[in-house]
Amino acid sequence: MGRLTKPTVYAVLIILLFLLPLFVTRPYYLHIFIVTLLYIIVVSSLRTIALSGQVSVAHAAFMGIGGYFSGVVSKELGLTPWLTIPLGGFAAMIVAVLIGYPFTRVRAIYFSMVSLFGGIAIVNLIRVAQKWTGAAGLAGIPPLSPINIPGLINITFLGQKLPYYYFTLLLALVSLLVLYRIEHCRIGMTWRAIAQSYLEASSVGINEAGFRVLALAIGCFFAGIAGASYAHYNLVLTPSTFSFLPSIFLVMYMLVGGRDRFGGPIIGTGILVMVPELFRGLKEFAPLILGAIMVIVVFLMPQGIAGLFDQIRAKYGEVRNRKLPGSAA
Amino acid sequence: MLSSMYILMALGFAILLSVMRVLNFAHAVIYMGGGYICYQLAVVYGLNQWVSLVLAAIVMGLFGLFLERCCFRPFFGDVNRTIVMTLALIVILESAVNILVGTQVRSLPAFASGVFRTGGVSLSVERLVTFIISAALLLVLIFFIQKTKIGQQMLAVSQDSTGAVLQGINIYRVSAVATVIACALAAVAGSLMGAIVSLSPYMGDYMLVKAIEIVILAGIGSIGGVLGAGLILGTIDGTLPILISGSATDAVGLGIVILILLFRPQGLFGHEA
Repeated sequence: MGRLTKPTVYAVLIILLFLLPLFVTRPYYLHIFIVTLLYIIVVSSLRTIALSGQVSVAHAAFMGIGGYFSGVVSKELGLTPWLTIPLGGFAAMIVAVLIGYPFTRVRAIYFSMVSLFGGIAIVNLIRVAQKWTGAAGLAGIPPLSPINIPGLINITFLGQKLPYYYFTLLLALVSLLVLYRIEHCRIGMTWRAIAQSYLEASSVGINEAGFRVLALAIGCFFAGIAGASYAHYNLVLTPSTFSFLPSIFLVMYMLVGGRDRFGGPIIGTGILVMVPELFRGLKEFAPLILGAIMVIVVFLMPQGIAGLFDQIRAKYGEVRNRKLPGSAA
Repeated sequence: MLSSMYILMALGFAILLSVMRVLNFAHAVIYMGGGYICYQLAVVYGLNQWVSLVLAAIVMGLFGLFLERCCFRPFFGDVNRTIVMTLALIVILESAVNILVGTQVRSLPAFASGVFRTGGVSLSVERLVTFIISAALLLVLIFFIQKTKIGQQMLAVSQDSTGAVLQGINIYRVSAVATVIACALAAVAGSLMGAIVSLSPYMGDYMLVKAIEIVILAGIGSIGGVLGAGLILGTIDGTLPILISGSATDAVGLGIVILILLFRPQGLFGHEA
């Protein structure tokens, strides 16, 4: 048996995800996977923002900006969603820069709170703009337009789960790759420095405000793209999908999964979105399972689920160290 | 009236935040739980409504004791874990209420009826009574903090918890008292609002946002500031809906709060930088 290296594990996981529709044929389960993948993008981008020391509690609202922008533009102007999804991402990014720049004045918990208010205000503005966003939600968003290269492929998206699954899977993989590269290049290091001490960071010549806005811009771009994809998948948007509690729950997915590790948001979102779905048969008791998972994680895993491996390793190492003097005696 | 409810909610939230550094998102469900307990006692078991209001406050106060002991104390000083804990509480309690009483909207009977008139101004007695109760509670609370030993200890802990411990203050006991007070206040607010508006498992979400808004506007650590900020926001929310729609009012209120915070990040009455 060959040694299990990290790249092989990841490669096997990705291949399994690509082969998943062979085993999972019920459309409803595919739907859960699609939603989970989209939320993984959002929560990972939230972690990118958190790297720079700012926990944004408005991330669902930025999803909403992307979703509504893409939905309204493609519906009213008849543009293809392939174009409006990136545009939705850029819209979220522009809004993030516009409101993020003044927000750099506030730090830590004050930033979280101000972003919370900002998020609620955005959702309320979406509610107010009923002329475009609809009184009871935005309906009639066009689905992804078919890819039709004559003689090669012909994929239609309307009413199909499978193409959407592959679309979101590719989108999630590309987004995660980009976020991973950003985190491990110079920008990511700068963000970590700012998070540790903004005073020291700015004293060695780092443009602290600029980098914090950059973190917001990048994070919100991916949130906008995920939101826009959700719009063209779900075809109906309501403001409550992006309001106060969803934003907090995004933060929770990140914290439960573990904030210190890149894999944290992926594990946290995967478990917290999918496990309650497994117990759907319990109807109104299903949220209790979610609550139970959270309580277990809080009590037993201080660094989140992704920190569990470190914890086990630390404990195991500790036990071994303790044994050594004993065996010598 | 609206202001007084906001202030009751926000004070509890502010006490928890300044004394224990806990962002208690579960404050919303405690508010909701208080309303439902009052409803159960008064409507289902037919107790006197005022008695059930007091009982609801006591029950939620005891729940606060449990909360401090089992949910906050193990993670003392760890903000991230307490946040996840309070969110878990939201999920558990909201679904518990859903299972036990169902999602349909209920309403408590009015605590007092009739209309009070003085020289051209007419007020509903119920709202007047609500206002008087909350004003009295606020006065008692201020007296408690200013004049009693444990109240002074609470202030000391909120200013500098390490220093307070060094002076021999039992920080756990202070936290327990703070949590009990906060939960009881939320329960009273929930019961009163349940009579004026209505009861639903999700009624707390809106009040929670308002409470956070007020606490941040006032500045963390400032209890007197909560009164001022609560009055400002209550007035905005009470008068603006006459001119524009409700959602727009919320956006305007939030916009004002954001603007103030950008120029005064420590809040209107805050002392911390």
